[in-house]
Amino acid sequence: MSIITRSPFLFRINTGSCNGCDVELATTAMIPRYDVERLGCRYTGSPKHADILLVTGPITARSKPYLIEVLDELPRPFVVVAIGTCPTSCGIFRDSYSIEGPLDKYVEVDVNVPGCPPRPQAIIDGVAKALEIWKRKIRDFK
Amino acid sequence: MSAEIIHFLIFPGGLFALVLGIFMLSLERIVVARLQGRVGPPIYQNFIDVIKLFNKEILVPKDSKEIVFMYAPVLGFAALIAMLYFIPLPGVYEGAGNNSDLIILIYVMALPAISHILGGSASSSPYAAIAVNRELKLMLVYEVVFVIIAFSIALYVGKGSAVLSLKDIMNYQLNNSPLILDWKFWPAIVAFVIFVLATMEFPPFQVAHHNDADVMDGFLIEHSSIPLAIYEMTDALKIVLLSIVFQIFFCPCVIGGDVVVNLLFFIAKTVIFVMFFSLLHAIFASFRIDQAFKFLIIVPTTLSLITLVLVILSIKGLI
Repeated sequence: MSIITRSPFLFRINTGSCNGCDVELATTAMIPRYDVERLGCRYTGSPKHADILLVTGPITARSKPYLIEVLDELPRPFVVVAIGTCPTSCGIFRDSYSIEGPLDKYVEVDVNVPGCPPRPQAIIDGVAKALEIWKRKIRDFK
Repeated sequence: MSAEIIHFLIFPGGLFALVLGIFMLSLERIVVARLQGRVGPPIYQNFIDVIKLFNKEILVPKDSKEIVFMYAPVLGFAALIAMLYFIPLPGVYEGAGNNSDLIILIYVMALPAISHILGGSASSSPYAAIAVNRELKLMLVYEVVFVIIAFSIALYVGKGSAVLSLKDIMNYQLNNSPLILDWKFWPAIVAFVIFVLATMEFPPFQVAHHNDADVMDGFLIEHSSIPLAIYEMTDALKIVLLSIVFQIFFCPCVIGGDVVVNLLFFIAKTVIFVMFFSLLHAIFASFRIDQAFKFLIIVPTTLSLITLVLVILSIKGLI
């Protein structure tokens, strides 16, 4: 039970972000020093493999159906991490005509990582917190 | 009878190869991470991944052909488990020796790719369709390379008449010098390295699989839970099988007659083999599919044909 929580697979989705948060996420994937793989994580290309969903960007009208589709495809139980200010509060895009956010309208957000963009250390800390929440969710799910 | 079941399920094939292969895949991840200046996962990481995948929810797409989608992974896994029973392990295990297991090896090496193709094409995803197309194109070429290498070794060992028994190829090199020291086989060794990179889909041939920027997860995109775990275990068995094949073809060296020492020596050679491929994984970027296809059809094919010509010339006594 506790051993399987050391192998989370991550999936990232960009819901209309300015790409700043995505660059910071990329640093945790492949750049020296900031490495999320030491927690046992692995970035996957498919939401059907994923345990932790990383969302960047305010939810734009164009990206909303895709976000809902991805949330549908995730195997339960999963954890949602909001990366950056945008999915938390829509940031500077708030009240725009094309924004359908924030993220917690559609799914219960487990961890918020604020910052515009957040530092890689903050993202790794957010993933570590998500691991604890994932462990609790697995226990409750069974 | 019971000894054969143990050989099939536990010691050279089956459980031993599975555990060794999963640890080798973790080692590959660690070495790539260290070469990139990262810490990397712990050594038991892929083991936990497989255990976790067995505990997850199975998702089956609505439009898929469910039977093929669910049971295609078993095809490649069963093929490799069976092959590890047939193939000899230098100094440790004699193999379920018959006199033409090289032919079986050539057939079986294609089956994991065929299981990828079946599982991906049954999943009804457009990404999987693109990845299957790419895998098929790569497979058409690298199988030819492998056949040419195997045929030239069989010709060389038999002095003109092809020897199709892996045990005889191994014994020839134990009595004479290993083929890795023979300059005629150096092009074939380079071609074999490229073949391993292509069949394991490490970079630069990472075109159909784990290529997130291009085809997401390729043919594995719709698989989850147990089918995905079986694909991971097939990869683990494949890296062990390729290491054994490399050792039989080019350097079946043993230390003395003790089984345990030979087994440890075999594991050490496998570790060096995997670390070499991690180095190549870390230093190469990925090809596009057209570049990969052109490279495969020109470079390794030519290198293996050079070895074939050299072998034929040496049999005729010209060099």
